[in-house]
Amino acid sequence: MAFPRDHGSHPAFRTEWWYATGWLRTASGEQLGFQATFFRSLREEAAGNPSAFAPHQILVAHAAISDPARGHLWKDQRIARAGLGLAGANTGDAVVWIDGWRLVREGGSFRIRAPATDFALDLALAPAQPPLLNGEAGFSRKGRSPAAASYYYSLPHIEVRGHIAREGRREAVTGEAWLDHEWSSEYLEPQAAGWDWVGLNLDDGSALMAFRIRGRDGGVRWAGGSLRTADGRLLHFAPGDIAFTPRRSWRSPRTAIIYPVEWLLRAGDLALSIAPLMDDQESDTRATTGAIYWEGAVRASTGGREVGRGYLELTGYGEALRLR
Amino acid sequence: MKAQVRLWWRLWCAQWRAGPVRMLVPVIALALGVSLATAVQLVNRSALAEFEQAARRLSGDADLVVRGPVAGFQEGLYPLIARVPGVAVASPVLELHVTLADRREPLQVIALDPLRAAQLQPRLLGELAGERRAFFAPDRIFLSARAADTLGVRSGDRIEVLVGSSRRSLEVAGQLSAAAYPRAVGLMDIAAAQWRLDRLGVLTRIDLRVARGADIDTVRAAVARHLPPGMSVAAPAVDDARLASASRAYRVNLTMLALVAVLTGAFLVFAAQALSLLRRRPALALLRALGVTRGGLARALAAEGVVVGLIGATIGFMAGVALARWMLGAVAGDLGAGQLESLSGALIVGPGDATAFILLGAAMGGAAAWLPGREAATQPVAQALRAGDASAAFARVRSWRIGGAVTGTGVVLALLPPVQGLPVFGYASIGALLLGGVLLAPAAAGGLLGRWPAPRAAEARLAIAQLRGSSARTAIGFAAIIVSFSLMVAMAIMVHSFRESFIAWLDQALPADLQLRLGQGGGSATLDAAGQEAAREVEGVARVEFRRSRPLVLRREAVPVQLVAMEIGEGGVPALTIVKDGGPVPGTPAWISEAMEDLYRWRTGEHVTLPLGGGHTLAVTIAGVFRDYGRSGGSVVVPRAAYVEAGGDSAANEALVWLHRGAAADVVVAALHARLGIGEALQVRTTGEVRERSLRSFDRAFAITYALEAIAVFIGLLGVGVAAASTALSRRAEFGMLRHLGLLRRQVVAMLAEEGLLTGAIGTGCALLLGGVLSLVLVHVVNRQSFLWSIDLAVPWGTLAMLSAVLVVSAAAAALIGGRAAAGGDAIRAVREDW
Amino acid sequence: MTAAPPGPVLEVTGLAKRFRADRAPVFANVSLRLAAGEYVAVMGESGVGKSTLLNLIAGLDRPDAGSVCVGGAELTTLDDDGATVLRRRQMGFVFQAFHVLPYLTVAQNVSLPLDLLGVSRQEVAARAAAMLTAVGLGSAAARWPRELSGGELQRIAIARALVHRPRLVLADEPTGNLDPRSATQVLALLREQVRAAGGGGLLITHSLAAARTADRVLVLSAQGLEPLA
Repeated sequence: MAFPRDHGSHPAFRTEWWYATGWLRTASGEQLGFQATFFRSLREEAAGNPSAFAPHQILVAHAAISDPARGHLWKDQRIARAGLGLAGANTGDAVVWIDGWRLVREGGSFRIRAPATDFALDLALAPAQPPLLNGEAGFSRKGRSPAAASYYYSLPHIEVRGHIAREGRREAVTGEAWLDHEWSSEYLEPQAAGWDWVGLNLDDGSALMAFRIRGRDGGVRWAGGSLRTADGRLLHFAPGDIAFTPRRSWRSPRTAIIYPVEWLLRAGDLALSIAPLMDDQESDTRATTGAIYWEGAVRASTGGREVGRGYLELTGYGEALRLR
Repeated sequence: MKAQVRLWWRLWCAQWRAGPVRMLVPVIALALGVSLATAVQLVNRSALAEFEQAARRLSGDADLVVRGPVAGFQEGLYPLIARVPGVAVASPVLELHVTLADRREPLQVIALDPLRAAQLQPRLLGELAGERRAFFAPDRIFLSARAADTLGVRSGDRIEVLVGSSRRSLEVAGQLSAAAYPRAVGLMDIAAAQWRLDRLGVLTRIDLRVARGADIDTVRAAVARHLPPGMSVAAPAVDDARLASASRAYRVNLTMLALVAVLTGAFLVFAAQALSLLRRRPALALLRALGVTRGGLARALAAEGVVVGLIGATIGFMAGVALARWMLGAVAGDLGAGQLESLSGALIVGPGDATAFILLGAAMGGAAAWLPGREAATQPVAQALRAGDASAAFARVRSWRIGGAVTGTGVVLALLPPVQGLPVFGYASIGALLLGGVLLAPAAAGGLLGRWPAPRAAEARLAIAQLRGSSARTAIGFAAIIVSFSLMVAMAIMVHSFRESFIAWLDQALPADLQLRLGQGGGSATLDAAGQEAAREVEGVARVEFRRSRPLVLRREAVPVQLVAMEIGEGGVPALTIVKDGGPVPGTPAWISEAMEDLYRWRTGEHVTLPLGGGHTLAVTIAGVFRDYGRSGGSVVVPRAAYVEAGGDSAANEALVWLHRGAAADVVVAALHARLGIGEALQVRTTGEVRERSLRSFDRAFAITYALEAIAVFIGLLGVGVAAASTALSRRAEFGMLRHLGLLRRQVVAMLAEEGLLTGAIGTGCALLLGGVLSLVLVHVVNRQSFLWSIDLAVPWGTLAMLSAVLVVSAAAAALIGGRAAAGGDAIRAVREDW
Repeated sequence: MTAAPPGPVLEVTGLAKRFRADRAPVFANVSLRLAAGEYVAVMGESGVGKSTLLNLIAGLDRPDAGSVCVGGAELTTLDDDGATVLRRRQMGFVFQAFHVLPYLTVAQNVSLPLDLLGVSRQEVAARAAAMLTAVGLGSAAARWPRELSGGELQRIAIARALVHRPRLVLADEPTGNLDPRSATQVLALLREQVRAAGGGGLLITHSLAAARTADRVLVLSAQGLEPLA
């Protein structure tokens, strides 16, 4: 991988996302989670159409704030076809936007703006560490078939400064985030139903990413992960090194989907208890990506002591996920 | 108080028992009037509501709509507008009519970006749930149920459209529910439509949602700053208004006619009440003598009118709803004289309507009864108790001065300009002239009868004397005829004038043997140079004159103007009905329709630059004004050569075809179809066929007018009948006395017939005169201001003569039927009846 | 009409009338003879058939039996038109309710019978004026009935009843709607004018005072017509 080129878009791949998650702390000491994601998807139906509106690329953006005082997410989404300067994803460096929603890398840090309907994010993300290339130098397998794979790097331990607004109330925030950038043409195998993913900024300065792909048959089709220690040593986990064990489930009152929200995670020698900031961090994005999933802030602990914070993503618990 | 109410109730019921028919007539009259008003109002409103709904459905919850020329504007404007601060959502739209192969009517296609549109129209997303991805594919179209039905296709079928001179095939990807899309419409992805329908780079509309908390007017101003000339941004309400304005004048006409019917009905209530009070005068005087106060009497009589109004209006409202339902079903609510597309026919009736119309009826009943009631109440008791005559009661109505003043006001009102495009003062003028006529007519008739040579026969002399003497009854008889018949005369003259002028215009507009058109209503099909050459080479064709006709938006609030580029004949004058000729002008000449004068204030000799779209313009000098009954929104005719030169558009979509002598029209039509190969989208008609079709649609548009007129006249005749019957009843003793004096029975009958004939003849004469005056106002004021075109006055003498004869005979017959019974045996006994 | 032929003005013989076959007759066997210049009053209780008798004499109704002869012409053999013409020529009527036409002037009202007989316009005007003068309303010729009092209206009616010099004047309760003073004046005028015309007069009334102004008084009952006891 080469940077900053690979921060930019890879339009020839079918699917691509820039996925920023993290914990925020307001001036009054509130602990919040946030998520800001931009998806790009290549469409072949419009091939050859010279119209400026031709939907060659469709862009989707999701934004959410996990607010324990509210009990469920502040969330919003946007979708648009790339074109006419109103939406797009540039190559060369990270510049991706839909109208006023944007994720742009400038001066070494990422600026995220999501002026959503009920809330807003305006954050500057300054990575303190170099990109963490997952899999084999950034080539991350997602299934038993070698074709099911993605290009995938993470930026853990990002220092966050900026503002959020909830119903017009604007507040300064600081915090720590995690940015994933992943692109692929064949992410999931047809037999796959969804995945469980976790990205943790551990207090000792190390970063852990672990995932598993669940099959439609209920079994685990693939698993993987990376651990980078504070001194920069990088460990890659094979499928057998990773174990996700559910500890507690939560049933969504809206969709009746049952999500395991507390886990015991084993990654190599590491064993962590994962518990959510709050149970209801479900996102309904049927209007844009077509999926309903759980994406939320979590704490990691060992022996009852918090050792890190991060985000947990649970997909495919309702219907099998389709990435299109 | 309660006792008095009970007393009145009892007296009123007794009247019903005594003369149910007499009591029923004002109820029927009022019911007829209210039913007409209700029906017209409901049909109008349902039509408008459907317009609004359709517009709203298409523009969703847009706060603002950006529009430009009908031909569209550059899409580059869209991102500029979308980025204007305060704009939350900007949804680009391309609306167009595509010509379908094998179909005459074009299909309206709305192309949009479903991702953007969904933010304005959540319903749209619901419609397309799960099919959004199918939407992105080119060559896909979603059809409304109605469109699919009309075209006879289902999902998965393909439809062929003509774009320019080539064919494109579209797959029907799905159907939109009839509830959401009641009209025939196709939905496409904007990129697909731009590409497949040859509109790359073009939009016709941008719907905007303003950000929460932003001020709409501020955002509108900010958006407006980005718009080039010829484009504007406005709230969708204005948009609806523009759609509706196309048929507004016609609908206002109908509403006015319906109101005339209500007024005639109210007048009849007035007449019936006045007559009934004349009859009941001694009884009322007795009540006064027994201690009913003057005010109490007046109020009670007005209350009677209100009750009659309530009953009549309730019946009328129900009849009106039924009538409206029938009209929507039968005429499909086409109140726009063909200017509106046909509607789905859903009648909207709210509880407010019933209340409003029934209260209106009650108010009219009360008002109609108020004047005669007050008159009766203020009558000196003693005199009323003693004398049977009441001629003095109406003496004040016979004043020349009041009638003259009202008529004068009517004339002045006719000279005033329209208000917001509506001939408000014109209608007010008609009302004033009508009232003036009613006021003047009895006096005029009195004068006429005074100079009438005294006939030999005693009964004839008696008849004249009776008409001159009992002004009250005579005035009511006259007024009933004048109110109803003069309006009918005026409408008949107006419609006849219109029809004659229309025929003359048609003949002028159709000089050739065949008329050829491609894709009506702004369809997409045209004939390119090769196609035009092919048409010329068809056997039997002597000469072809091609035209390019396309809409031109000069001002947003107005209906688009039609630009017609045609070949200009010898002497530089086109084959048009020229009403103002400015003579030869320097540079490129243009001729404008009369509407252009009124709407755009263009004058002959003026230099104008026409925006042809795509940055092209055509500078012209107005050389003359022509009459155009085809387009009320205005049209401009320019030489085709100049048009082609200015914009490079050499395609044609209309043509006039002259045949070789001896060539069979149907053979040539078939050959043209075969040669041009564009199926039904090519419409070739013989001149005779076009003429016949045009006249048929003209007559259909005015059919509803005729129906309203007929009902007004029927109400008028009811009035004559009521006056006659009531008169005859109160004159029974008089007939008895005359029989005693030696008048033969047939002489009494002859006297009655002569009275009826005279009333009918004089009333009809006055009505003809007044109707003539009213027709001048209708033709030169109301019509000119509503439709913006002129009409040459033409009087349908034969029709008027026949109608007059029918009316006079009907009036005589009504008088005779009413009087015959009264002249019979019990008339003799009536002599001994005391009052 | 100008000169009264000899013989009775009115000859009623054996007149009978019943309205329904199952009812008793209104009256039976009524006979009456009225000579020229004679003025007779007929009295009777209410409902005894005074009006019926008048209608029979006027030819407006048909008797069940008997004959009515006016000026020598047998009325019962005439059809409706014949009876009407006879009435027009030979009879004059005065009604309780005056029946002066409101839409005609006083003079026009009085002229009505002459108009019906086709008398020339000049003669109509002269005779109507003379007649109005005779009833004391010479100055009211151009006035409208609504401007006049009840007594004046009845005087106009009397003028109208006599203007064509009928052989027979029939007056039906002519004072029923009048105050006593006007009634007296009208009765005197009626009697005087009937006499002056030289024909016969029949006054139908239920008032004895009125009846006494006549030459003789007869009383109508179911049994017939008998002199006042």
